Amino acid sequence: MKKIVLLCAAGMSTSLLVTKMQAAADKSGFACEIRAYGVAQAPTVIPEADVVLLGPQVKYTLAKFQKEYADKKIAAIDMRVYGMVDGEKALEQARTIMEC
Amino acid sequence: MQQKDQVQDEEIETTLFEIITQVGTARSLYIEATQAARAGDVQKAKEMIAQGAAAFSEGHSIHSGLIRKVYSEGHEPVFQNDGRIMLLTHAEDQLMSAEAFGILAEEFVALYELLGSKGVLS
Repeated sequence: MKKIVLLCAAGMSTSLLVTKMQAAADKSGFACEIRAYGVAQAPTVIPEADVVLLGPQVKYTLAKFQKEYADKKIAAIDMRVYGMVDGEKALEQARTIMEC
Repeated sequence: MQQKDQVQDEEIETTLFEIITQVGTARSLYIEATQAARAGDVQKAKEMIAQGAAAFSEGHSIHSGLIRKVYSEGHEPVFQNDGRIMLLTHAEDQLMSAEAFGILAEEFVALYELLGSKGVLS
């Protein structure tokens, strides 16, 4: 099962997005585990993830994480998708990145 | 700028997320600005601070719209559930954090610029 990890400042706002992403995944029959964490937990959660999505508030960590975890697929969530709490679009982004 | 006066009750979560997104983006840009200045690119740092300030201002105006909404006469209760209250608290926490980061980022960029002009960086 694919593991999708979302990171934001405290893992709080992102957890609502996770709920909506999981609902979108269940609806489309895509088996995956989606979790939200605060950026402080990055060192323990990134190695376990298939794809890592960053919230807008921690986008500044993107370059650093991409360098530290060069083998991982890490991207920033589109600002509009995040603002609209669009679970389907966020899931779509995660799946697109995984297929790359 | 989009007028945010009409905050719909059913859209409250989206409204709170918009605040978090805008001020969160601002906060991230402010941090990136200090990193750019440290790397010697003061021009880029100042651009990032300006972009951050614009995002912050947008988030702040959405928040102001929400305040007007809850203080308007005869409004329907907006925050009837715990999740929304926590999300509001988080949005306001992010807002204040971004504001503080903005002030500090400007100071840091100015400091790095000064150090650069004295040849301390490089």
